[in-house]
Amino acid sequence: MKTIVLGVGNPILRDDGVGIHVVNQLKKQINDPSVTIDEAQTGGMNLLDMIRGYDKAILIDTIKIKHAQPGEVKRFLLSDFSSVHSYNPHDVTLPEALQLAEKLGEGRIPHEIVVIGIVLEEMPLEFGEQLSSTIAAAVPKAVEMVLFELGKNLNISSQSNDKVNMKISLR
Amino acid sequence: MKTITIDPITRLEGHGKISIFLDTKGDVENAYLQIPELRGFERFSQGRRAEDMPQITSRICGVCPVAHHFAATKALDDAFNVEPPSPAKKLRELMYCGYIIYDHILHFYYLGGPDFVVGPDAPPAKRNILGVIEKAGLEIGKEVIKHRAYGQKITGILGGKATHPVCGLPGGVSKGLNKDEVKDIETMTKSCVEFAKFSLKLFDDIVLKNKNYVDLILSDPYTLKTYNMGLVDKNNKLNLYDGKIRVTDQKGKEHVKFDVKDYYKNIAEHVEEWSYIKFTYLKDIGWKGFKDGKESGIYRVGPLGRLNAAEGMATPLADKEYKRFYETLGGKAVNSTLAFHWARLIELLYATERAMELIKDPEITSTKIRNPVGEPGEGFGVVEAARGTLIHHYKLDKNGLIDKANLIVATTNNAGAINMSIRDAAKGVIKKGKVNDGLLNMVEMAFRAYDPCFACATHTLPGGMPLEVSIYDKNKKLYKSVKRNI
Repeated sequence: MKTIVLGVGNPILRDDGVGIHVVNQLKKQINDPSVTIDEAQTGGMNLLDMIRGYDKAILIDTIKIKHAQPGEVKRFLLSDFSSVHSYNPHDVTLPEALQLAEKLGEGRIPHEIVVIGIVLEEMPLEFGEQLSSTIAAAVPKAVEMVLFELGKNLNISSQSNDKVNMKISLR
Repeated sequence: MKTITIDPITRLEGHGKISIFLDTKGDVENAYLQIPELRGFERFSQGRRAEDMPQITSRICGVCPVAHHFAATKALDDAFNVEPPSPAKKLRELMYCGYIIYDHILHFYYLGGPDFVVGPDAPPAKRNILGVIEKAGLEIGKEVIKHRAYGQKITGILGGKATHPVCGLPGGVSKGLNKDEVKDIETMTKSCVEFAKFSLKLFDDIVLKNKNYVDLILSDPYTLKTYNMGLVDKNNKLNLYDGKIRVTDQKGKEHVKFDVKDYYKNIAEHVEEWSYIKFTYLKDIGWKGFKDGKESGIYRVGPLGRLNAAEGMATPLADKEYKRFYETLGGKAVNSTLAFHWARLIELLYATERAMELIKDPEITSTKIRNPVGEPGEGFGVVEAARGTLIHHYKLDKNGLIDKANLIVATTNNAGAINMSIRDAAKGVIKKGKVNDGLLNMVEMAFRAYDPCFACATHTLPGGMPLEVSIYDKNKKLYKSVKRNI
């Protein structure tokens, strides 16, 4: 099984780049030919191009949702997002890109697309490479959740229960 | 006075907000689009190595990385006082064509086109690429995907990476082309020329042969008589990668033509307290508020601005289309906002034809792709991003580090006009306080034509472009609201 792990975001837009900080950590910890780790400073159609050909994709990105504290890390399946309208004036959303690929009979789409989302405080509007302390503190948790997702965490007894509960609570 | 707020139109809640102000009769008086301007770029770049700027600036925006990459590279040519060898310029321009190909295809088929192909009255859930495919057929959908990917591949072969290129260096490029790559690019480009021709025919069949659409394009709410700006070559033909900045008036006559070095003598910025964005205008005419006409310094950039600012296209098929464009829409200048879509397709055809010329050029496989740099100083770079004129201006210290950096991005150049287009579209659907259900669609069509990029480069989930109209009465009390995706 081939898996791709992508840190999604902009490395020069402060907290928006947290996904890239997470994959930089993961690169040091994972050395497995079946796992590709990369950064995706892009979205929509380009993101679709990047995940094509893999069985599973894990996207690490910022999220903004109600009823969550900044710095919390949440796991979603991409199928939890049903939007079909673009949220960016110049691209389609990944769910929309996937629907399109499906409609056109494009195989090679991952069977499962997992989003590890780090809850943002607010959208950064000032350039910078540093993360805020709240978001930086979420990096180890996100790393751990990706490792768990990859089935590589050997010490999962206490952590895994949390994850399972969280998965259930999200449904 | 009532205030109608459409909030938000970009990806994140709280950013990008349209407020519509009504007069005492309940008609639209003004409309304002508030877009977040990313701040602190100058401070961020200060003290960095100048040669890193093409990589850094291509990360400013997830939408036009290639445009930033080359505006920066050209500014560095100038700052290091070096002229790239001819093959390097051709390689850069070829790559630039690849970028325009994928960007314009994306906009027409995925974003702007659905308004026409699916129809302006269709429900929002259908006005997307899936709706286009439903109407135009699965085979066309496959062609769209294929040719957008070709544009990306051409850019990737030349740039090292498709999304964030790494090839631009002061004085040239880091990578040339081998014979196999030339063959690949030629095959893909040939197919892209045919696809561009097909796209224009599709536009012809679906839009131009439909009187209702043509009437909509030519209607008052979507007409704006501003100045126009774009790069032209020495024959005043449209150019995307290089040339002089030409400004024409409402009738298509040249107002001024200048080198990018003189941008600050010709372009000034106006600040409004309600917006983060600075509104650019022609300095000699002056800022006269959100008005069009000869007395107002507001201008438009992007495909329509470029066609109007030029006297033709430098490739034969695109030039033929250029002539037909003006014949059909009533001569120069075309001031119809929705004509941006047609103009974009004419540019797509131009980019494919130009790419074909370049890939067949014997110099394209040359290994002379870089000249040595001189002493660091001040530099200016300009390109036509898919959505309009993009200017980079750097001052380097004696060690080649960035001391000052200023960027004028395409959407800033169009900001004044976008506000007016939103206002005029809203006027058509809000009468005496009565808000027509088509408000969201009409307003969305108005700003989408420009293909604007608002606060770029975040990829924050969840998606769903939300639109919300909130109508407030005189006492600023909420009285009505229309929502989508919220």
